[in-house]
Amino acid sequence: MTVAPQLAEPVLDDLRQVLGDEHVLTGKAARFNRARVPAPFPVHRWAERVPDLVVLPGSTEEVSEVVRIANAHRIPIVPRDGGTGLTDGAVPLRRGIVVDVKRMNGILEIDEVNRTCTVGAGINMLKLNEVLAAYGLIYPDDPASYPCSLVGGRIGTSGWSLIGSRYGHSRDLVLSFDFVLPTGKVIHVGDGAGRKLSKSSSGYQLKHLFMGHQGTLGIATEATLKLFPKPEAELSPFFAFPDYDSAYRTVGELARAGVATFAGAVLFDEWKVDYLRRDDEAYIPQPADVRALVCAVAYGYEDEVIAGGRRLMRIAKENGARYLGDEVSEGDWAARHDRYATPLHGRVRSGQVVPMSWHCEDAAINYSELPQVRLEWHEIVRRLRERFDMFDDWGMFTYTSANTGVDYLTEIDVGIWEQRLDDESWAAWVRAKRDIAEVALRYGGSISACHGSCREGEVDLVPQELGGGYDVMLDVKRAIDPNNIMNPGKYGLDRAYEPDGGSGS
Amino acid sequence: MTDTPARHETDDPPRSDGHGSTEEFVEQWSNAAYNCFSSGHKFCREVCPVMQVTRNESWTPTAFHANVVAMEQGELEIADIAEDYVNCTGCGACELRCPNTLFTGDFYRFRTRTVDLVKAVRALAVDNDVHQQGWQRWNLLTDERTHEPVLGDTPVSQEHVRDWSDGLNIPVGGETILFVDCEAAFYRTSVPRAVAQLLQHAGYEFGLMNEQWCCGGPAAEMGYVEQSKRFARHNLEDWRAGGVKRVLVLDPHDYITFTEDYPKYFGDDYDIEIVLVVEVLAEMIRDGRLKPAVPVERTVTYHDPCRLNKRKGVWKEPRQILSAIPGLVFHDVDRVTQWSYCSGGGGGLPIEKPELTARISESRVDKAAELGVDTLVSACPWSERPLSEAGDARQIDVTDIHELLAESLGIEVGGSRGR
Amino acid sequence: MSAYRHSEQSRPPEARQITEVAIERFDDVFEVDPKLMSVHVVQQVFPNWDTLRIVASRHDHLDWMHSHWAAKVISAQALLDEIDD
Repeated sequence: MTVAPQLAEPVLDDLRQVLGDEHVLTGKAARFNRARVPAPFPVHRWAERVPDLVVLPGSTEEVSEVVRIANAHRIPIVPRDGGTGLTDGAVPLRRGIVVDVKRMNGILEIDEVNRTCTVGAGINMLKLNEVLAAYGLIYPDDPASYPCSLVGGRIGTSGWSLIGSRYGHSRDLVLSFDFVLPTGKVIHVGDGAGRKLSKSSSGYQLKHLFMGHQGTLGIATEATLKLFPKPEAELSPFFAFPDYDSAYRTVGELARAGVATFAGAVLFDEWKVDYLRRDDEAYIPQPADVRALVCAVAYGYEDEVIAGGRRLMRIAKENGARYLGDEVSEGDWAARHDRYATPLHGRVRSGQVVPMSWHCEDAAINYSELPQVRLEWHEIVRRLRERFDMFDDWGMFTYTSANTGVDYLTEIDVGIWEQRLDDESWAAWVRAKRDIAEVALRYGGSISACHGSCREGEVDLVPQELGGGYDVMLDVKRAIDPNNIMNPGKYGLDRAYEPDGGSGS
Repeated sequence: MTDTPARHETDDPPRSDGHGSTEEFVEQWSNAAYNCFSSGHKFCREVCPVMQVTRNESWTPTAFHANVVAMEQGELEIADIAEDYVNCTGCGACELRCPNTLFTGDFYRFRTRTVDLVKAVRALAVDNDVHQQGWQRWNLLTDERTHEPVLGDTPVSQEHVRDWSDGLNIPVGGETILFVDCEAAFYRTSVPRAVAQLLQHAGYEFGLMNEQWCCGGPAAEMGYVEQSKRFARHNLEDWRAGGVKRVLVLDPHDYITFTEDYPKYFGDDYDIEIVLVVEVLAEMIRDGRLKPAVPVERTVTYHDPCRLNKRKGVWKEPRQILSAIPGLVFHDVDRVTQWSYCSGGGGGLPIEKPELTARISESRVDKAAELGVDTLVSACPWSERPLSEAGDARQIDVTDIHELLAESLGIEVGGSRGR
Repeated sequence: MSAYRHSEQSRPPEARQITEVAIERFDDVFEVDPKLMSVHVVQQVFPNWDTLRIVASRHDHLDWMHSHWAAKVISAQALLDEIDD
């Protein structure tokens, strides 16, 4: 592989001057390893996504300088934080320079009086919380990737949190951040003249715009976060049901109960239960009439968790739930980050174990529409597996996004035997993804509550979901990134630069 | 779909006979590599001591596995990646924290084996004549002297391997022998002296090995597998010739070599019992054979040696020992938090990248300093040199657990703490 | 772990079939039925100490994860018992 002509020695020299030699990586392995995120992709096409260069900046100023140089030479930039996203935000589609911000992981301030902290975008939430624990504080942004994803990536993807029903999601928890625009200019995004407001009414509310853009608008470098007291108590009962309908009814009632410490409720359907019976120690011995599961979670002071917990337990009991016991409940909840992406969950039709990549197609769906979406999604995956033995239905769950039970993150997990993914099966998978997204929109949902929607397949339907809002997206993109250097090729935003693009204006 | 069953990476030890082929290597490691590559998790990353200080994704366990897939695809060659694999201390945090180990490794009898993979890549590099200069020289000197050159320009040799025991009247030979690693035998001699005197104090009979060579573990870690096997064969033959049935080990690195490398080399013929001294001492305290009574007025925390805590699950006994020493104020940090701690002293890292080892040990000692302790206690001679160097700058003394226990039993340990 | 003897470590205890796809060798430790790992992915050489190390570490990790998030865990069973009374 040759380095792109724009990246000839003078540019490399400039970058080395800014960053120091050891933070400009041109080696093949360094570049291959920044072309990869967890979402499956045909391995034989890996080289298509390899960047020309990787830089490891250590400060906002260095990021700004790198971006300024890239913009001057029209070199694509791809921001990379944890690289744990599921919609390819951190994947280079046009080569260029990967700006990997992991070195920027300092804790710059802990403000106990205003309950905030300011951190580098490259810090991981678990590591941050190990430090905050000494202050009796916690930053409760809890994705499945909690042990390894980074604050900057949570900003770039506008992440969803497992306990968001209690504490909010990344967009609620991040108060403000420093942000490098595609020209290299640095702005501070967030309310007010300082860093630490949760609400203002002054001017446009830009924070939402600069979160969840999948790196197409710039690079977050430093963030100020909202902190909470570390909870005194946790409650996480798991319940078994003989059928989906009673589990569905129960999860709805739990979520609508309005319990203040309620942090989330989850429903696992019968496909998911079957999947758990393959290798999960808690479900292998469960009787055959267990066909659906519900979990409810609460955090807070001990007295309030107990009071709210009584109400949740009563609701479950009145709906015929069978409590699975403290050991299973506590173990399953503590394992919430670890039970997702284990490749050996994979089974081909013969039942043989194969290492499969976990892919979850998610959507935001109202409670009332969940049962129909579920059936249509399983049917799409069933047809796919019928044709190709490298796909496996790992079941579905639905998870409250908010504290009123209005909408759910719902997800179908599909195992994909990546070693065998060829062009034909990949094309079928992309079609299936589009079909899955189409169902979500037909039922009034969003293509994604959590992961984003810029992968092949579902991305085609984003204009349909956003309507006139998509045209505004094009206008914004062109205004902020005049040369289309910032993560080009994502979200169909290239059309903003076509002669008749961005018709919203 | 039908396939021939894949060969497995644990079926055979790495060849390192000068003929290691990349194709064979890739075939052997393919499923293991995909089991990481196809997993969304990268939970290894924030527990990896190298990653924590460098933040360089090229040096993560995930990258180490992904490179195998890239080799399979013909995108990378051993020469492209060999140098990256220097950046590993072999601590085992990544493979333990990996959900494919921690949550399903026992279920499938298939776990993440990053440490073995790193060793295998290093061996493949050596087989293909891709050497790291420092390691090549180190292993050459080890081969010449039968011990690692831990004293730098001061030569080590067979005739001095028992010097640490001067004046202790330990016999040579017997059914039970004490094996002392190169670092402790030549550099931190206070550790084996403490161990020997503790055992003598408790009336435990043991001797020293007839002709002890380096265990061979470090050579295997750096890719020089043929040399490692030669050393292992020598030691086993020496044990057998002397009628040794039981080998006492004070060094966690030796413990790994004797319980993981030797069984791979010798298979079912391997009939030597391997005993970890720290476990014996904890038992002696439990059953009253050792009664620590001399107060040791220190405020300490304990450094879980990676090869005990992460790779073997040994963490209780050292804490039992520390809890039994009167006078100590013990600020413990739990074993799971310590999965992300490391001294930086393992896996040959200090030979090739001493500055990286120093950053890792500084980070470890910083965590001790936050606890307000005056002493960091370890149970691994190889960790004690880098930790001591980092400790000097922070007024934290780094002590071996055996030294501390001996002090509490009124034993004048003697020997050198390395400096 | 206590003294290492290769002969004790290299042979696992007899298996008991638990479900069509799972067996049990050590108490309360399930394993995949090895017949499911005979074509594409082959099981590793797995000394007994390693199985037990992983199981113990998993439990320690789960305890750690609870205390990482909250000082204590409320027993849902106790709440249920109160309601039942």
